[in-house]
Amino acid sequence: MALTDEVKRYLPDGIAARLKYPKLADFERPNVITTTADLVFNWARSHSVFPFQYGLACCAIEMLSSGFARYDIARYGMEVFRPTPRQCDLMIVAGTVNEKMAPVLLRLYEQMAEPKWVISMGACATSGGPFYDGYNVVNGVDKVVPVDVYIPGCPPRPEALFDGMLQLQRKIQQLTFARPEKVEPLYGADAPWHADVIGPQAQFGGRVSKKRLTP
Amino acid sequence: MSLQVGNVRIDADELAARLGRAFAGELMDVAVQEPDTVVARLAREKVKDVARRLHDLDETPIDSLTLISSVDYVTHLECVYHLYSYAANLYVELHVELPRGRPVVATVSDVWPSADWHEREAWDMMGIVFEGHPDPRRILLKDDWIGHPLRKDYVDDVRNHPYV
Ligand code: SF4
Repeated sequence: MALTDEVKRYLPDGIAARLKYPKLADFERPNVITTTADLVFNWARSHSVFPFQYGLACCAIEMLSSGFARYDIARYGMEVFRPTPRQCDLMIVAGTVNEKMAPVLLRLYEQMAEPKWVISMGACATSGGPFYDGYNVVNGVDKVVPVDVYIPGCPPRPEALFDGMLQLQRKIQQLTFARPEKVEPLYGADAPWHADVIGPQAQFGGRVSKKRLTP
Repeated sequence: MSLQVGNVRIDADELAARLGRAFAGELMDVAVQEPDTVVARLAREKVKDVARRLHDLDETPIDSLTLISSVDYVTHLECVYHLYSYAANLYVELHVELPRGRPVVATVSDVWPSADWHEREAWDMMGIVFEGHPDPRRILLKDDWIGHPLRKDYVDDVRNHPYV
């Protein structure tokens, strides 16, 4: 980093040397480097979310409807639905997750590149919904993958989906390179898969990726 | 055989009479249930033979199988073959009673190929075994599912639900 004498005069003592040779410790607290980078990265990330179309049941119709001209998801920069997990950073689970689909869903989630988010759309994906007692229904996709935003409804209207996506944008904008220890764990220590937790990934603001190693 | 629908102009009563004559002693209680549906009962040992002959019937071959449904009557299970004749534009329902303890019946997937997946579904949901089926796997539930969930006495096994 080229720091002229002119610039150095305006920086606090000691910062110039540390900017030239930044140590890992410099990123533990917010400073001029991390906050500026956060701003840029979070702005970019939150306004170009690529959703993975994971329509499993009737809620998928509302998800599709929100993509078309009448509701027009493109207003929020989230219109690029992708059919492959490797090009996506948001999985919209729209519909009933059943026991046969759950391992497939987990696998597709693991194929998505970090940082990644999950929206649980509708009563079924959130809790099992009307099929709570069904013999083949997983009672909530959060039993399989970590969920960031839950959208209630059966089905939620496209407006509700947009509201959920705006909530997700706000969540993305809170990401930071610094302070990995400040990020709240997504689940309590009593979660059954706690032993399998993969540690915080500090380079992306400590988003905790929790996976169950065995289904 | 012609695939033109309804080119043999007979009604269900006439078809029932013909079936009663051609399958005397095999099809029992042949009756007309609805204006276009003939219903009959059948012993399970005769399913294979009767299916083949129904399929190759003169003039009105019963050449299409639209559905196999399975019913749990608690005392016994039942397998219902829903058949259709393009030539006569009429439906035939065959009810086959199966004992609960050993619900085995011969496959008809070599007679009507569409029976393949229906028989897999009946095995998956109701536990009816189709002898000679070319691919006897589950079709809707995952392969390691324990039990057959549409049976009245089904008890869910906790091993079916790894995600809790
Ligand atoms: S929540 Fe309602 S609309 Fe959505 S998938 Fe379930 S049953 Fe269908």
